[in-house]
Amino acid sequence: MASAATVETPNVTDPSLYLQGIPHDRFARIRATPSLAWHPYENGGFWAVTRHAEVRHVSRNPELFSSAIGHTNLWDLEADALEARRSLIDTDAPDHTRLRRLVAGAFTPKNIRRWEETVRAITGELLDEFVAQGGGDWVDMVAAPLPIQVILTMLGVPTDDADYLVELSNYLVEGTGDAQSIPPDAFGNTTELRLLPFNSPASHALFEYGEGMRQQRQDDLRDDLVSHLVRAESDVERMSRNEYRNMFHLLVFAGNETTRTAISHGALALAANPDEWQRVLDDPSMIESASEEILRWSTPILHMRRTATADTELAGTEIAEGDKVVMWYASANRDEAVFEDPDKFDVGRFDVGRANSDHFAFGGGGPHLCLGAFLARLEVNVLLEEMAKRSICLEQTSEPVRARSNFVHGVLSVGMRPAGGSN
Amino acid sequence: MAGDDMVRVAVDQELCIGGGICEMLEPEVFELDNDIVISSVTGDGLLPRARADVVVDRCPSRAIAIVEEEL
Ligand code: HEM
Ligand code: SF4
Repeated sequence: MASAATVETPNVTDPSLYLQGIPHDRFARIRATPSLAWHPYENGGFWAVTRHAEVRHVSRNPELFSSAIGHTNLWDLEADALEARRSLIDTDAPDHTRLRRLVAGAFTPKNIRRWEETVRAITGELLDEFVAQGGGDWVDMVAAPLPIQVILTMLGVPTDDADYLVELSNYLVEGTGDAQSIPPDAFGNTTELRLLPFNSPASHALFEYGEGMRQQRQDDLRDDLVSHLVRAESDVERMSRNEYRNMFHLLVFAGNETTRTAISHGALALAANPDEWQRVLDDPSMIESASEEILRWSTPILHMRRTATADTELAGTEIAEGDKVVMWYASANRDEAVFEDPDKFDVGRFDVGRANSDHFAFGGGGPHLCLGAFLARLEVNVLLEEMAKRSICLEQTSEPVRARSNFVHGVLSVGMRPAGGSN
Repeated sequence: MAGDDMVRVAVDQELCIGGGICEMLEPEVFELDNDIVISSVTGDGLLPRARADVVVDRCPSRAIAIVEEEL
């Protein structure tokens, strides 16, 4: 609970703040307070965890900081809504372990490597078209189609439906903010919105789509991820029908929205820092480090929430059982205690050896660490490689339109033009 | 304790979430089973301490531990 002595915490949850970008100055002020900051929210509040070390602690102690209680977003859900909407993200062991193992095999570093040529072919085609057109909306032309086409290919979903599924994802992002542009009965939805992920009627449409895929594959099992899930779903001990639909929803949404955001902010950063991109063009061995920096810089998911399962202490602050604890990856990724000159975009920052990086774009570790981390890395790496191969330098031609959300760091559109490299 | 002392590592298969980071870092020591997607130690599980510390640290679900010190 909040102690009376708590200094007033700057507001970081108002979704409209994020129309101007992440409020980094506010996070810096919170990071500078030695204890955890109590942040008011709706009728209660949460502990704002903003430093790298403490985000790591919360992530890696799932017995103390649960994902299954309340919700992993800021607001609590009623019990029936939580059950209806529960996905991998909102579970603890042993349910989490059971569900995670159903999909983990497809996303190991070793198995993700097999998709490299697919990713390269998709990326090359999109970049060639972008260059042929002399540029345009980077989100529409490159950032959105690349990850959605890749995840749909893995799932076995026809890529002809990519535009429709991106449209649904855009509505889901709206659902994370405070203003939805579609009516509750959009897409023929009749379910109460509180029972749908992100309170969005687009979730109904995505559930329906997933159910259609399930029925198709049921009689025609193939070597794709949907068939793999359908096989598991045929044994209720392994996965229930409700778990299937939430898993399908999660893979489609998480598999495209986040990487799209990284690629959008990546383009913005490369256009704003042409010298940094030139370093990469001069020395392509920097590409992996540059990708990690793009991930740190973009932090596509701004936070995740946990709920304390017992009284505990962190940063000299007493946390009570049931308190909400919110890990702000957007802040941990700018923590001056870990990153030198954190507000500088520096493609050489990460020494990507075997032991890899410690930004928290994919979470702070722990069992919920992003399932798609190696897929997302592959996509960003291949994109930079293919841009370098074509000597594409980006010039920004319009201001980005940002998502009104404190949860995803989304970019809805931004104009870019290709200019030739100087080498 | 020098970082090149050999230590033995083991995987707690209840905790493993099958992310495969161990297999990526130390392919000689860890192997993921393709069907059940759980990591196990192949061979004698010996690693220099410094490298064992890295893989213990990088395992997201704290499933890897050093079970025998300074062999
Ligand atoms: C740049 C791209 C991406 C970013 C920044 C990102 C970020 C994240 C974050 C922050 C989490 C929560 C981690 C935690 O709670 O500890 C997460 C979880 C997850 N991500 Fe990603 N993600 C990305 C790409 C992907 C892709 C391509 C997929 C493809 C399937 C994916 C699937 C998932 C899933 C299924 C989870 C839930 C894992 C669990 O709860 O066990 N993500 N991601
Ligand atoms: S790194 Fe840990 S969780 Fe991942 S496969 Fe290896 S033992 Fe399992």
